[in-house]
Amino acid sequence: MINHHWTEPQKPGRVCILGNRGFVAAAVAQALVERGVATQTIGANEINLAGPDAGLQLAGRLRREDVLVFVAARAPSKTIPLFMENLAMAKAVGEAIGQTAPAQVIYISSDAVYRDDLDLVREGDCAHPGSLHGAMHVAREALLQAVYKGLLCVLRPSLLYGATDPHNGYGPNRFMRQVAAGQTITLFGEGEERRDHVWIRDVAEVVYRVIAHRSWGVLNVATGHSFSFREVAEQVVALFEKPVAIQGTPRQNPVMHRHYDSTAGFKAFPDFHYTPLKDGLAQTCLQGMKKL
Amino acid sequence: MNSMTVGFAGLTHLGLISAVAAASRGVEVVGFSDDMNLVGAVNHGHFPILEPGLPETFAKYREQLSFTARLEDLAACDVIYIALDVVTDDRGQSDLDPVRSMIANVLKVLRKDALLVVLCQVPPGFTRSLPLASERLFYQVETLVFGNAMERATQPERIILGQSEVQKPIPEALSQFLKTFNCPILPMRYESAELAKISINMCLIASVSVANLMAELCAHLGADWSEIVPALRLDKRIGPYAYLKPGLGISGGNLERDVENVVRLSGMTGSEAGVARAWMTDSRYRKEWPLRQLHREVLAHKPYARIAILGLAYKENTASTKNSPSLVLITQLTKCAIQAYDPAVSLEAGIFPQLETVPDALAACRGADAVVIMTPWPEFARLQPDRIAKEMEGRIVIDPYRMLDPESCHSAGLRQLVLGAQ
Repeated sequence: MINHHWTEPQKPGRVCILGNRGFVAAAVAQALVERGVATQTIGANEINLAGPDAGLQLAGRLRREDVLVFVAARAPSKTIPLFMENLAMAKAVGEAIGQTAPAQVIYISSDAVYRDDLDLVREGDCAHPGSLHGAMHVAREALLQAVYKGLLCVLRPSLLYGATDPHNGYGPNRFMRQVAAGQTITLFGEGEERRDHVWIRDVAEVVYRVIAHRSWGVLNVATGHSFSFREVAEQVVALFEKPVAIQGTPRQNPVMHRHYDSTAGFKAFPDFHYTPLKDGLAQTCLQGMKKL
Repeated sequence: MNSMTVGFAGLTHLGLISAVAAASRGVEVVGFSDDMNLVGAVNHGHFPILEPGLPETFAKYREQLSFTARLEDLAACDVIYIALDVVTDDRGQSDLDPVRSMIANVLKVLRKDALLVVLCQVPPGFTRSLPLASERLFYQVETLVFGNAMERATQPERIILGQSEVQKPIPEALSQFLKTFNCPILPMRYESAELAKISINMCLIASVSVANLMAELCAHLGADWSEIVPALRLDKRIGPYAYLKPGLGISGGNLERDVENVVRLSGMTGSEAGVARAWMTDSRYRKEWPLRQLHREVLAHKPYARIAILGLAYKENTASTKNSPSLVLITQLTKCAIQAYDPAVSLEAGIFPQLETVPDALAACRGADAVVIMTPWPEFARLQPDRIAKEMEGRIVIDPYRMLDPESCHSAGLRQLVLGAQ
């Protein structure tokens, strides 16, 4: 579901990343710098995207030949004030790119835009979010599409894991911290839900490739392999010398799985393959989870 | 039967097969096309289509068959069939202009006592809109199956005939001709007949979609779809000839066109067509099964692999590549070196820069990291897995239709991936 403006990859000019301290923004910046790409991160300490005149300020920083990677968000956007703040940020970005029309805009969205009960997710599926967080991303995607007629690429990542994750959400990151601390891993129900977990470095790799090809369209960032939370917990425990218990709890909600049809990814980048969960977890474990 | 002459306007796949089948029923046949080269070739028994039984039937009834590029020669006919294949675009939409144009030309030479039968795949409402008196105008459903067309045309299960009013008797000339096929004749109004054709295709797609879904589940759950199919065929509600073979989605253009028609007609009338849309989504997903298997089993470790593709046609016994899963796959293997072989299809050089066509199946397997059997040609079932294994560099054989014997593949050290089983 994405197309390449450049069939063969080319070294990009300057890339501006909106966000500098976040999990994704930092990983993308690191990957670009490692490849020698001129990279500029713009954090909230420089421009408060939700503040007055943010659009003008950002426009002053952008050049027509830039690639803009829009990562910044107050996440998860669970309340109305946060929802509105996130839209205000997008409004500022929309004003800025409306004025400067950069060469490419990449928006890091979320798979929360899809219906919660969608078992097999594809890029062509209707965005029908079941949460304010998903609605926020859909609204931002629509806003960007309305104001920017250039090469807009929307990436919708599944669940992410990696050593620098600051959220500690239910899944690999929390499990790893729990095992490192010798704590029991507690599952929701028996951890039956199957999810697609993506290593943060693979997200950065996809973003780099999208930049190098000047790609446009929509692409899910998912491996195509889903694992139950119990399987993930077991894989995490196996990485550590000192095992901990994995404990189920009475189920509160019905089991819902999520799988991805990764065909669009194969078509977009035939020579790129996601790191298998086992290897990604091992790498993360080696790096050591960042303390919260 | 009194001597009668039946005309076929359009020497397409449909026209040629129907004309030769008509001759086999004892009538004189005039086949018309304005393409003089085509007429010349057909008169010499050279056909632009591959269809088992066609050359033999043509030779047997040659004396009753004449082919012409002169429109006026159709004036000799008691009944004229409009027998053009309807061309569809990538979205399955029909281009009916050539059909309308052919009908307009034929009406110029149609005798006042002669009948016109539309045999093309047209949407509901088309026949009634034509400028000819209803007592002389008919629509007949064709149920051409590429690769099996001659047999089906000479021995149809039934004949579905659309006319202006269902109670009207069928005119003598047409009735006599149709009765020679010795099968039930089902008269119905035009619109019913036009929709009957689409209904048949919808039932087939539904069966195939169910087979594909259940076969995929089998593969995940340790079941084997081939063990289940005989049980289904013995169920009277499903039947011995049901489309239960899992495959790579729907191809060929005709089925896709009818789904498109159903979606369009539903949109027009406010009917719910979600299930038809789902069939197309499902078809696209199935078509990409070999690509997913290749990435998971081969390209994840070796992105620039050498791949053997056996089969380019969209199905066996045809040279058609319309919506062929094989070409869909090749389009996506831009980083691989491909060696391809098909018994009937020869691709123009340079269409796929990464592809080299070779003269036989084993040559395609030579040095390959993986072999993918994309068309179930009977000759592929005769390939010996140990010979394939000797030619190959790798061990993966993606064989959606299970053409190769699983035991022999196992003995040859090959890992065979099929639809419907692990």
